[in-house]
Amino acid sequence: MTGEPRRVTRRQFLTGAGIVATAAVAGGYGVSVWTRDAPTTKKQARTVAHGDPRGTLVVVELGGGNDALNMVVPNDPAYRALRPTLGVSDPIHLDDETGLHPKLVKLAERYRRGQVAIVEGVGYPDPNLSHFASLATWWSAHPGGSLDTGWLGRYLDATVGFDDPLALVAIGPTPSPAVLGERSFATSIADATGLTPRLPAWADRASDVVAAWRGFAPAPVDPVTLTERVDDALRLTVSARDELRATLGTGGAPAASDVGAAPGGALVDELELAGRLVAGRRRPRVVYVSGTGDFDTHQGEATRHPALMADLDTGIDRLFTAAGPAGKDLLVMTVSEFGRRPAENGSGTDHGTAAAHLLVGSSVRGGRHGARPSLARLDQHGNPVATVDFRALYASVLRDWLHADPEPVLDGAFGGLRVVA
Amino acid sequence: MSVSDRERVSHVVRRLSVGAHPDVVGALRTTDDAIARALDLSAPAAPPPTLAPPATEEESRRVAAITEPLAWWIGRMRADSRLIEERLVWFWHDHFATSIAKVRVPYLMWQQHLTIRRYATGSFADLLHAMAKDPAMLVWLDGVTNTARQRNENFGRECMELFTLGRNAGYTQDDVVAASRAFTGWVVDVPFRRNAVAAGAAPYAAAFVPRRHDAGTKTLLGATGDFDLEGALDVILDHPAAARFVATKLHRELVGVDPDPPTVARLAATFRRDWGVLSLVEAIVTSPAFTSDAAVRAKVRTPLEKLVTLLQAVPSRAPAHAANGGGKAALAALRRMGYVPFAPPNVGGFPKGAPLLGPHELVHALDLLAAIGGPPPEAFTADVDALFARFGVFDVAPASRAVVASHDDPVTRVALVLTSPEVALT
Repeated sequence: MTGEPRRVTRRQFLTGAGIVATAAVAGGYGVSVWTRDAPTTKKQARTVAHGDPRGTLVVVELGGGNDALNMVVPNDPAYRALRPTLGVSDPIHLDDETGLHPKLVKLAERYRRGQVAIVEGVGYPDPNLSHFASLATWWSAHPGGSLDTGWLGRYLDATVGFDDPLALVAIGPTPSPAVLGERSFATSIADATGLTPRLPAWADRASDVVAAWRGFAPAPVDPVTLTERVDDALRLTVSARDELRATLGTGGAPAASDVGAAPGGALVDELELAGRLVAGRRRPRVVYVSGTGDFDTHQGEATRHPALMADLDTGIDRLFTAAGPAGKDLLVMTVSEFGRRPAENGSGTDHGTAAAHLLVGSSVRGGRHGARPSLARLDQHGNPVATVDFRALYASVLRDWLHADPEPVLDGAFGGLRVVA
Repeated sequence: MSVSDRERVSHVVRRLSVGAHPDVVGALRTTDDAIARALDLSAPAAPPPTLAPPATEEESRRVAAITEPLAWWIGRMRADSRLIEERLVWFWHDHFATSIAKVRVPYLMWQQHLTIRRYATGSFADLLHAMAKDPAMLVWLDGVTNTARQRNENFGRECMELFTLGRNAGYTQDDVVAASRAFTGWVVDVPFRRNAVAAGAAPYAAAFVPRRHDAGTKTLLGATGDFDLEGALDVILDHPAAARFVATKLHRELVGVDPDPPTVARLAATFRRDWGVLSLVEAIVTSPAFTSDAAVRAKVRTPLEKLVTLLQAVPSRAPAHAANGGGKAALAALRRMGYVPFAPPNVGGFPKGAPLLGPHELVHALDLLAAIGGPPPEAFTADVDALFARFGVFDVAPASRAVVASHDDPVTRVALVLTSPEVALT
């Protein structure tokens, strides 16, 4: 718009600064993210000390709360007592105290080669059993706080800013709040077609309309108003599209998706696509894979969870295959909003708390990390007590893999974990 | 540049309907007239299509069966009557977000839609009670497996966190347990489902089975009693946070910004009186904030709003196709933008705000063009300002006008207006 920018600030509608309406849905409305004054973050994200990352970080979000107790299986009579039906009876032996789910065959092989780090007991203090609260916690790295930015969004804010639209590529049906920043954005794609519109033949002339978007926003400005944000988003999209075309080419079969298609099979496809991005000419710093599979196994866990584990195993394998030689500079990390309750409940398990997570790559410090929570001393809701704060996991990969100072990104110091050699 | 009168009128129509019908916008002169027009429910409601209860297992799972009723629904959003009703139907659809990906049975999803439609402009209390017993909801949030012997807390939690009180209302895990206990006992006979419970009820209908119900005493939100589902819902609605939470959310939807605390108190007091949704709407839209400069274009336009606006703006080469909500291609476009009715990404609802400005959403908005079935007549796109006006945009930046004018092809012009910064916001 010409003339003075209309600043759309929350101050115009709130009396009393510091009162923040928490968006019930992650992402909220346009105004709450785009105001320059963001009452919730007391610190402005500043440029952090950083060097070049050692390679690409691929984060695999196991949405819904993965039953890690059946993924990293303890050799513990308490486990068998809590899970008479759903317990894994034939885990792949890793050591005398630990097995892996039988479907994680390739990951077990990698573990034996020292390429898998298992971090046990990952959670956060005062756990919340709601998907949204817990997801918001893991996405924002602010337990109990509101979700204005994601931890990886703040990483981008503090490092590349708007200069590198493909520094972080999010793969999934919708962009993840984990990657939402204030002064940056990530590129999101759903499949190998990247950022290409799908148009009928009669609209062919419009297929290159994206290139014309630069005209909507002739003068790059530091966006303040919502309108400026839109202009900026258009400009950045054009750049990102051009780059992705160079990496992925114009080929690649799109993933077939249906209105009611079960979300499971997408995990393998998305991880393979992540591998292709890693193998590309400008490999991203981070690939965030989400929207894959439904790990929220309240029901039917006996069939659903093994299928999810099989997808995870296959998917990670395909990721490394697709990455090719660049796979040596690849670190994969699982995340999930929580684990599941140790005691089975009918055909499934309820929301839990602490869970084991995996890191995979040739540079990990292989073996087990963290401290396995006791199944004999559960909390008042029957859930294990976390021994590792998930932010320590984030800090470890930020510091040792991405070579960024984790403290400003995570708003605090979370040491004590070294998962990368 | 301050907001022009025409833009402000268009803003009102955009907020109180799902699109921006050019004939409606064109005939209105003042925001008061626009509010009255949008809130006018005197035109008779078009009878929605009915889906027959599925007779075979295959039929019950044929997800594609939802596309026809969905096309009717989009046709309703596109129409020029009962505007506020469609805005509210969408709002509640998002609020009680239930996904066909888990429910699987289109018949049940459509029954839920009809329930929402029945109560959307009535009483929120009635709507909440109906939704708690809605078969699709019972399946979606595991109400059907919540029993006295084996509690499932999914609905108990989401009901308070997302549907009524909000995350910060001060309820505890013990309250979730108490609510879940009160909600026990409801089943839906879904034929052909492996764990279908034949309770002697009609197939695909909800039924209460006393022996599955925990009839004991519960303490919920400070109230003690042997609450059943209805009792628990009444306790929840009695909580002061309920009216505040829902009123705040509707304010955010219609105005585009959060209400300040005095406004929340005022709206909650109005709403609390009889839970009348239209009274709440009126209280929201008659406040100065609703038509202020800061409210105009304060929201990011959703993919669904873009589709409806496009269908309204551009005459279609295939009118039956357009009347069909733009057909399969439009649905595919919505899918690529992660914005499909009946398939919210999670129980928190559809994406809003910032996530809608990602490169993905911006690029795939172009996919919606398929909905108009073919190139518009060249004369239709000759006047650029008139073309923007068809999309309900009257305050156009010179740069935007120049970009559109620099292309001659009608399809390209429509595509550029659809993806312009002006249409990206609403």
